[in-house]
Amino acid sequence: MNKTNGMKTFLKALGNLVKKPVTVKYPFEQTYIPDDYRGLIEFDESLCIWCRRCEMVCPPGAIVFSQDMEGKHTYHYNRAVCIYCTECVRTCPKEGAIYQTAQPASCALKAENINNGWNALFEEALKSRAAYAAEKKRLAAEKAQAAKKDSALTIKQQGKCTNSP
Amino acid sequence: MSKQYEIPVGAQHISLLEPLHFKFTTENEKIISTAANVYYVHRGIEQACCSKFKFRQVSFVVGRVCGLCSISHTTAYSQVAEKLLNLEIPRRAKYLRMLVIELDRIHSHLLCLIHVSENAGFEALFMKTMQYREFSMELLEAICGNRIQYDFSIVGGVARDLKLPVAHEVVGRLKRFKPELDELMDIFMHNWTLSLKNKGSGKITRETAMRLNVVGPFARAAGLAIDVRNETEDLLPWKEVGFEMITGEDGDVHARNIVRLKEIYVSINIIENIINGLPESELVTETKAFPDGEAVVRLEAPRGELFYYAKGNKTQVLERLKIKAPTFSNIAGMVEGFTGNEYGSVPAIIASYDPCLSCTAR
Amino acid sequence: MKKILTSPENLKADIRQFYNETQHHFIVMNAVEMGEQMEIQWFFCDYAHPAEMTCFYMQIPPGTLIPTITGVVSSAWVAEAELSDLMNVDIENTEKGFVLEPDSEAGPLRKKK
Ligand code: SF4
Ligand code: SF4
Repeated sequence: MNKTNGMKTFLKALGNLVKKPVTVKYPFEQTYIPDDYRGLIEFDESLCIWCRRCEMVCPPGAIVFSQDMEGKHTYHYNRAVCIYCTECVRTCPKEGAIYQTAQPASCALKAENINNGWNALFEEALKSRAAYAAEKKRLAAEKAQAAKKDSALTIKQQGKCTNSP
Repeated sequence: MSKQYEIPVGAQHISLLEPLHFKFTTENEKIISTAANVYYVHRGIEQACCSKFKFRQVSFVVGRVCGLCSISHTTAYSQVAEKLLNLEIPRRAKYLRMLVIELDRIHSHLLCLIHVSENAGFEALFMKTMQYREFSMELLEAICGNRIQYDFSIVGGVARDLKLPVAHEVVGRLKRFKPELDELMDIFMHNWTLSLKNKGSGKITRETAMRLNVVGPFARAAGLAIDVRNETEDLLPWKEVGFEMITGEDGDVHARNIVRLKEIYVSINIIENIINGLPESELVTETKAFPDGEAVVRLEAPRGELFYYAKGNKTQVLERLKIKAPTFSNIAGMVEGFTGNEYGSVPAIIASYDPCLSCTAR
Repeated sequence: MKKILTSPENLKADIRQFYNETQHHFIVMNAVEMGEQMEIQWFFCDYAHPAEMTCFYMQIPPGTLIPTITGVVSSAWVAEAELSDLMNVDIENTEKGFVLEPDSEAGPLRKKK
């Protein structure tokens, strides 16, 4: 290495001492987030038609709907299971019912019990839906039976009517 | 005959980024034979894709095969699924796929160079290259919305459009990156310290590469012109956007570095061409069909040829999915490349193979 | 893609006749379960005309010994080792345990009955 080159290197090294670092001091500075970052999925209950398509397409199963005995749906979403793929938004037939924000998800905490808790919730939600479906079936069957009885009764009555001149 | 030693490297070793294991038989410092063991991370992804997930969800699952070339995996899968569905995708989607694949190639090649310089003991170059690489990660994040798992290709097209300000940003940043790349090229080409570990080590000849069916920059550095981008025109029109074949001659670590750097220039060129001539069209072709029959697809990932085989049975779930990652083809060549080298060169040689074992073991 | 039917007896001769080191590129081996039978496939492409792929295949009942092609295609041992572990098929001169730990489940990619 010749002398001028060595001098240049030395000066450059000196210059580096006063240069700003290239890294981002993360907790104190925000890292780069583009405008249409894929962030948290938000849900608007008033627009949803409860078709459950978003639940069906979601690859990791981060959305699930539970149902109470009156048939009312409740939406559940897990930000730690979600992979932010936007499939749910793409498939939703009702624009605006489910949408993606640019808000990054916060860390999952141990207290939230985000894995086992979610699995339990998922099972529960499926069970609640099955229970509602069974209940509905039972009610429908009851109704059908009642209707049958009813119609049998009316036929009888009608028969009576025709039979008695 | 002098005394022989057997030296194991891995599965956990300070110079290895991947769980792989080599057993070297050495005579003094010279390696005379190598045995490899590569699978420590079998995750059963193929099985999951054929049992647990519906065929549209699989493109997100296969993205998780690899963190570095997830776009290559999702695109290859999407293409094979489109073949099974007999689906022609919109033109704009094709160009956007190529755009993201090429940006991904830039970051992946730079990452490989980073590892080579680090494993050769050149920490300062490692940090410098890492600094220069950051722009590609940020661009990918701006285009896809995610930094690592892009989830960009879906069956039938792409998930997101390229917005105009982002396109301007890509062009501007690439322009700023070019002088930095020239600087890297100069260092990798002429730096004397680096050449001590790089020139002449890990050498394989063109004949060996051919005999062992090596793929990717590993093969091209040895002079074997094999690049899927040069071959298939029906799925992605690579030649239209300015693809050029880059080959080296020596087949050593140095030649691989140079091939990778030159390919980055080609990638930059391709990206600029795509952005200048991006056609307008829809992004996704919708269909209600189910996959049927069998199909294969090859795609050039940053490490070489990626191969997908899929078989459908007219249901939501595939019958069989087979993934062949580029590193898988290179294992035989990798084992051969060590012979005759000094044990001290091993870290740099391993890094220059750019192995991706998560892909290989799936 | 051209598909050529072969059999365990003819495989070696067929591959030897077809494969030319400087002309053909061996891609990978694959196995597909088709009910009782199992289809084993070998994929090749051509350096000069890479779009033309060739696939040798044979249908055999599980448990048949598959001959190795490593004598002709030197890098095929990797594919053979992988397939014999993951699909639990028997391939000549291939030991199990390259891909999986010795105590892991045999043939994890086989269909669960
Ligand atoms: S973004 Fe993807 S993973 Fe997240 S809830 Fe929607 S479909 Fe599920
Ligand atoms: S797809 Fe849309 S409308 Fe249907 S359940 Fe989900 S959010 Fe509601």
